[in-house]
Amino acid sequence: MSLAANSSQGVNPLYWPVQMRRNIGVRGLFLVILAFIIAYGILFPGLFSVFGFAKFTQSWFPLALVTMAQAILMLAGGISLAIGPLVSLGAVIAATTMTQSLGIAGGTAAVTLAGLVIGAATGLIVVKLRLPSIVVTLAGSFIIAGAALLILPRPGGTMPPWVSNLLAGGTPAAFGLLVLVVLAWKLYLATPLGLSLYAAGENPVGTYRSGASVDTALIAAYAISGLLCTGAGLFVAAQTGSGDPVIGQSFTLNSIAAAVLGGVGFLGGQGTMRGALAGSLLLSLMISVMFFLGFTPVAQYIAQGLIIVGAVALPQIRGMRK
Amino acid sequence: MNEAAGAKPTRSLGSILRSRPFLAFAVVALVWIVAGFTMRGFGAYGHLRYLIELSAVIGLVAAGQTFVVVTGGIDLSVGAIITVSAVGLPLFTWQADPTGLSAIVATLAMASAIGLVNGAGVAFLRVHPMIMTLAMATFLQGLLIIIAGGSAVSVQNELVQWLGNARPAGIPAGILLWLVISAATLWVMHATPFGARLFALGANPIAAQLSGVPVIATTIAVYAVCGFTSGLAGVLLLGMNGQGYVGIGDPYLLTSIAAVVLGGTSILGGSGTYAGTIPGAILLVTITALITVVNASPGWRSILFGALILALLLLSGREAARR
Repeated sequence: MSLAANSSQGVNPLYWPVQMRRNIGVRGLFLVILAFIIAYGILFPGLFSVFGFAKFTQSWFPLALVTMAQAILMLAGGISLAIGPLVSLGAVIAATTMTQSLGIAGGTAAVTLAGLVIGAATGLIVVKLRLPSIVVTLAGSFIIAGAALLILPRPGGTMPPWVSNLLAGGTPAAFGLLVLVVLAWKLYLATPLGLSLYAAGENPVGTYRSGASVDTALIAAYAISGLLCTGAGLFVAAQTGSGDPVIGQSFTLNSIAAAVLGGVGFLGGQGTMRGALAGSLLLSLMISVMFFLGFTPVAQYIAQGLIIVGAVALPQIRGMRK
Repeated sequence: MNEAAGAKPTRSLGSILRSRPFLAFAVVALVWIVAGFTMRGFGAYGHLRYLIELSAVIGLVAAGQTFVVVTGGIDLSVGAIITVSAVGLPLFTWQADPTGLSAIVATLAMASAIGLVNGAGVAFLRVHPMIMTLAMATFLQGLLIIIAGGSAVSVQNELVQWLGNARPAGIPAGILLWLVISAATLWVMHATPFGARLFALGANPIAAQLSGVPVIATTIAVYAVCGFTSGLAGVLLLGMNGQGYVGIGDPYLLTSIAAVVLGGTSILGGSGTYAGTIPGAILLVTITALITVVNASPGWRSILFGALILALLLLSGREAARR
């Protein structure tokens, strides 16, 4: 991982070989995704127009953001059960502030701040009070869901129409945003804080002993994760044009499923962000393809359950044979 | 947990006072006494009995969850199993059996089989428990739409109705059922070789395998037990509610995990006891009841609930410091 940092001072000759090796675990996943994209393209040729591409990436974008949020925490050796409520909170804050008191800039700032502060607070509790992240975020999910209900007790609120048009209209702006987020993640990994994230997740004691600030790295990871979730909430609010205090519910478990599909491990420090993104892409492709194939909701749920287990189990089975 | 401080005679008393289950029971007693004196009607026998009756459902689910968590796993499908059992039970009705016992047996067998598949996925396919049970929950969600079609089913089964409403000797049948399951759980966990293997497996799976613990069989058994108790909770819930509908089990997923953790069982596996989960379940129901009395909006209720759980976790869920 440290090689990524060197790339700024001329490309290290080892950079690409190392990056290729990090792809090994997810190569099969990339092939499966390619197959799904081809199937999608045959079923729905409109995918390859600007409009079709825009619509598909918009349906993928929030899941991609929350999967990144979950993957960051899993890389840091934690996990979050509060992803869904945070998405809802971001959505209701956006829908209640942007057209009213604070305006668009103020509303965006409020959403950003809420994500960073709640994320950092969660991180502080996990790190400083030494509670397992799964139980802290379990309790936190009730608190955050309550806060979302306080802000907007029932679905309502409005988004400025041009924000909805910009983010969820006929242009692939969402995809552009995703590229920016991924670039920002790459930059973050090149900073000392980002580097110590992987290290602290894999071996906190060793990282602590080698002088890196484990606590800061972990709290920063929680803050970034919170920001990504409320950001996804803002986007969902723009997509639907209003706020809903429970709209994020399905994201908690889907984010875990997508991250694990992408090869991110539960023990910390294992996996790559490109894998997690690929996992989220597969999950949302799967849902779209099944929809176009005319699967009933029943068959969709059943197939989704089977595919997730299959995708996670296959590499394990192959590993056992070797 | 093994505080060996103090001289020999006082050691047993001291370790009891400091044990997590005792602390959890003490918190429940404290809350009940304070609320009993300050709130009208809280301390009435009927009200307290009702609280324990509600705790029985959480307690049953959490019994299986405790088994799973002690071995270092987690079961995210308990909510779905409860729903499938509650909605599926009326389908197993045969004219030949007027007592309704066969329907309950068939439902529990189905719930155990679902748990068995969970365990097989975790043990054979080496899928992480969180993913295996999550996928199972998604799968069951599809199955539910097939069997229920989205509508609520009402219970005609006499035995189930008896379980939910009868009060032999003034004690609700649900509480009696919980007592039996609790005794069985505590016995299996702390007085059988199987129980000892659970803790070994949770503390260090590789060491457990090397010392001859049948890891695969134990893992499968643990998830099957969790499916069984979740199914039992579904049957009891159906009896108490009189109706089964899609989503009836959803609230019990997070509360079962919370009850286990509040009782001092480590979410990382290897240590804990169902003796802590019992007061954990009662505590959760008590908190919910108190918050309802406060008459706050749903938002504040949820915030209070989360904040109280977080505060209680500080008492019971700390990990050792790294250095």
